[in-house]
Amino acid sequence: MSSPLVVVAKGGAEHKRWQYVQYLYLASFVLLVPVVLQPFEIGKMNRALVLSVAILAVNLVVGFNGMLALGHSAFMGVGAFVTASLVQDENWDFWMALPVVVMVGFVLGILVGLPALRVKGLYLALITIAQATVFPTLVNIDELGIAKRTGGPNGKGVSEEVIAPSYFEWLPGVDGARGGSAYRYWCIILILGITLLLVTNYIRSRPGRAVLAIRDNEAGAAVYGVNLPVVKTVNFAISAGLGSLAGLMWCLDKGFVAGQDFTFLLAVDLIIGLVIGGVGTLQGSLLGGLFVVWVNDLTKRITIPLGLYTLNGDGPLAKAIFGLILILFTFFAPGGIVSLAKSVQNKLIKVVPIRPDGTPAEDVDSFDPGMESDRAQSAMKLAILGPVLLTIGWLLMNVNNLIVGCVAFGLRFSILVTAPVAMLVGSNELKALLAGRRPESIKAQASMARLLGGLGFLFVLLYGLWLFKTQYSSR
Amino acid sequence: MTWNFDILPDFVFNGLSLGAIYGTVALSLVLIFKATTLINFATGELAMIGAFMVYVLHMEQGLWLWLSILIAMIISAGLGALIERTLTRPFDPADHLPVVLITLGLFLIFNALAGDIWNYQVRILSNPFGKFPSWVPGLGGDRFVMVLGSRLKYQSIGIWVTLALALFLLGLILNRTKMGLAFRAVSSNVESARLVGVHTGRTLGFGWALASAFGTLGAVLVAPQLGGVNPNMMATILIYALAGAALGGLDSMGGAVMGGVLIGLIQAVLVMWLGVVVMGQAYMSILQLAAAFVLILIVLLFRPSGLFGSRRVERV
Amino acid sequence: MSDDVIDEVGLVARNLHASYGAVEVLRGLDFEVAQGKVSVILGANGAGKTTTLRAICNMCNSSGDVTLGGQDISRLGTAEIVRRGVAHVPQGRGTFPELSVNDNLLVGAYVRKDKEVNDDIDRWFEIFPRLAERKEQLAGSLSGGEQQMLAVARALMSRPKLLLLDEPSLGLAPLIIEDLFTRFINLNKETGLTMLVVEQNANLALDMADFGYVIESGEITLSGPADQLKSDPAVQEAYLGA
Repeated sequence: MSSPLVVVAKGGAEHKRWQYVQYLYLASFVLLVPVVLQPFEIGKMNRALVLSVAILAVNLVVGFNGMLALGHSAFMGVGAFVTASLVQDENWDFWMALPVVVMVGFVLGILVGLPALRVKGLYLALITIAQATVFPTLVNIDELGIAKRTGGPNGKGVSEEVIAPSYFEWLPGVDGARGGSAYRYWCIILILGITLLLVTNYIRSRPGRAVLAIRDNEAGAAVYGVNLPVVKTVNFAISAGLGSLAGLMWCLDKGFVAGQDFTFLLAVDLIIGLVIGGVGTLQGSLLGGLFVVWVNDLTKRITIPLGLYTLNGDGPLAKAIFGLILILFTFFAPGGIVSLAKSVQNKLIKVVPIRPDGTPAEDVDSFDPGMESDRAQSAMKLAILGPVLLTIGWLLMNVNNLIVGCVAFGLRFSILVTAPVAMLVGSNELKALLAGRRPESIKAQASMARLLGGLGFLFVLLYGLWLFKTQYSSR
Repeated sequence: MTWNFDILPDFVFNGLSLGAIYGTVALSLVLIFKATTLINFATGELAMIGAFMVYVLHMEQGLWLWLSILIAMIISAGLGALIERTLTRPFDPADHLPVVLITLGLFLIFNALAGDIWNYQVRILSNPFGKFPSWVPGLGGDRFVMVLGSRLKYQSIGIWVTLALALFLLGLILNRTKMGLAFRAVSSNVESARLVGVHTGRTLGFGWALASAFGTLGAVLVAPQLGGVNPNMMATILIYALAGAALGGLDSMGGAVMGGVLIGLIQAVLVMWLGVVVMGQAYMSILQLAAAFVLILIVLLFRPSGLFGSRRVERV
Repeated sequence: MSDDVIDEVGLVARNLHASYGAVEVLRGLDFEVAQGKVSVILGANGAGKTTTLRAICNMCNSSGDVTLGGQDISRLGTAEIVRRGVAHVPQGRGTFPELSVNDNLLVGAYVRKDKEVNDDIDRWFEIFPRLAERKEQLAGSLSGGEQQMLAVARALMSRPKLLLLDEPSLGLAPLIIEDLFTRFINLNKETGLTMLVVEQNANLALDMADFGYVIESGEITLSGPADQLKSDPAVQEAYLGA
């Protein structure tokens, strides 16, 4: 399947429909998490999203500015401890602490960044590693009231609970026993959304372009008048501020912070998430956070007996499996999940740009009802395969075994990916049929396939709704 | 306790021997950096695995300690060359990120494997320099000798002699052998090295092998100071070695050793003053880390390529 | 030597293609350098001159047949090609800046296994006394002309059958260039060394060469004996400023 399944024109009705499908997926993901997942799973999702923000911060420096910084766990830690201290000792509200925390991170970023960014390449990596390693021990210092603020080796708990106010009880998942983690989920989603918006705009702005220019050709950027030290340091400081924000979110989510949470291993997790998600892409940062938390969770459940020796994922080896995944990704998918997803998408659907005269740059598939098309054949296969895979997946998922579960997940995932294409091809046919306009077109084999494709997608959609309903009502 | 100059030599000796160990590990980092301009973050864990090999060969199989060390160094060298061949050679050396990730992955894997096989508890490994051997006149069997009114441990002397020997050997290999010449050529200009017929891949593998062997030596020497071997033994050592390498300049071998020794000395003396006199014992380790961190920041602020590193001019 | 007979074939390249990513730089070059002769490739910036030499040494993504003394070398790695007797002086500084002048020459003889290496070094120091004075200095501290001499001497330390020179005149003062080219001519006359020179300085290069090629956008547009090329109106206009 080297040529794409369907070719559509950019900005055309089919392309728009494809985009709506993507938005729909994203929205349903965001909505379904607090509804479908168990409270402890929502907690993990919260942690994943917090890491996403931290990875976004690392991405600003590593992905967009081309500097190797490995010490953002320390900025996270600072953010978390400042939040904990402000909320617990000074009785501030989390929302009041937010601007202070970001500012503290920003100033710290300038302090570390100024000397660190003077040096090139791997020296920055060295300094930031040292920073990440030193941080957990710094919070234990008894002088200057540090240990009093940080709780020293015991960590610091925040007794103020984050509970949804009465006017937010309508949020999905927020009520009853679940209110806690689900409401925190919505808080985190809100901060994450705003952060993403701001970072997107920042990258597209004038300073953002300077940051990218430095990554692509540092000397060249300098020649074109980019003030290297200022741009690099401010970018690093913004990134540090974002890292601190992630620390605040961490504190908000867990209600407890300890120096041992912010070790070099956390910094390694951030880098792993960054790379596996996709360096230099915003979506990659989001996916990276999810990957780090959920795959870590998954590896812990793996047990493989190998004769005398049993490979047990729930021990030190969890990290080894993680390291192996990291190496495999570096080798076989250097662009991370984002580029993998893009290549999958390019095989399914190709978006062709429009020439100035209004015609597409390449031949696009016809979606008129009843037209003959080779691709209709593929759509038929998909349409039949979709529901079949879904059934198999559903059966396997009920056999509660992890590896089988993984296969089931893969199957479900492939349906989620293929269903919209089936829909694209089939929906027009369905529309025509429902309107009763072209009943004769159904006779053609191709049209039959399209119809099946549309029906298959409807089936998937209904299945999703049914899942949603049963999960929602069973609570 | 008040400031007392009598105890100064004690701390200087300790600092010098610790510094020598940092220098050894820093050398391991610099050997790879010089050839590939990459930092091997798995250096510490590779060295730790080497120390465990000595543990298995010597403590469990009962081999002679120095033979065990030699075998472990050779196996580590092989492992290093293997890693270079299989994991780092396919990548463009100009792009740092992939190889940093590979070495971070190896760091996780080695640490976890060691933890799974040997647990995370400290295992005692005999000290190669516990007591003066019997042939030393007047000192045989003693653990130290009094110098300047302080105890100079046999261990410190042993570490210095070993490091000096290793450096001498490294100098011989690099300056007197064909492989060493090829290594220096590749570090200087990869393209030209290829044009005079040097197999660059093999040469880099040789660099990795040397580096891994040195790391293992460092780990074996440091083990007695930590009470034995354990999977996390190299974490802080690696940080100090990195600090030493950064201090000396990442592309200078002599600088790396000097930087390591300097870090050790500064730690010992500064920490003695701050830790013992001003604040108290409890803050020693924190201060050591913080001092190293602040030191690198200051040095790099004024000399971005380290004390002994060379500046490279870049063209657009 | 027994392979003298085969050696008379020299270097032959057939249908040589090379590309950087999607950009095709060489589009099927055919050229040869006869044994003991000097050939020159002329061309403007970006015509593909440097890439041609790199393709011979298999240092870029290339395809086509390259034979040296009748033996196919197009599938070999760079290090192996050097062992077959090709020496390449790359554009600009082909030296090892962090190695001493002496070590630079020593590493030039890396592929040799005989005992005469040190004699050869002494011979080069006689030819280039300036290098002898700077024997222990780091190559990076030499001037441009000295570095170019060092690069040539280093390349010849491997006792090659074929010398590839990539714009040896680049960035050098006219007097030094003349001196350098006189030495190349002498080398060729005295030792019969086969040379392939890539140049923009057409006058000097054609004086030295026996045969010449002109390449434009990765294709050979003109070829012929050096004297003939020199009088070719197209060449005169484009390269000799006539």
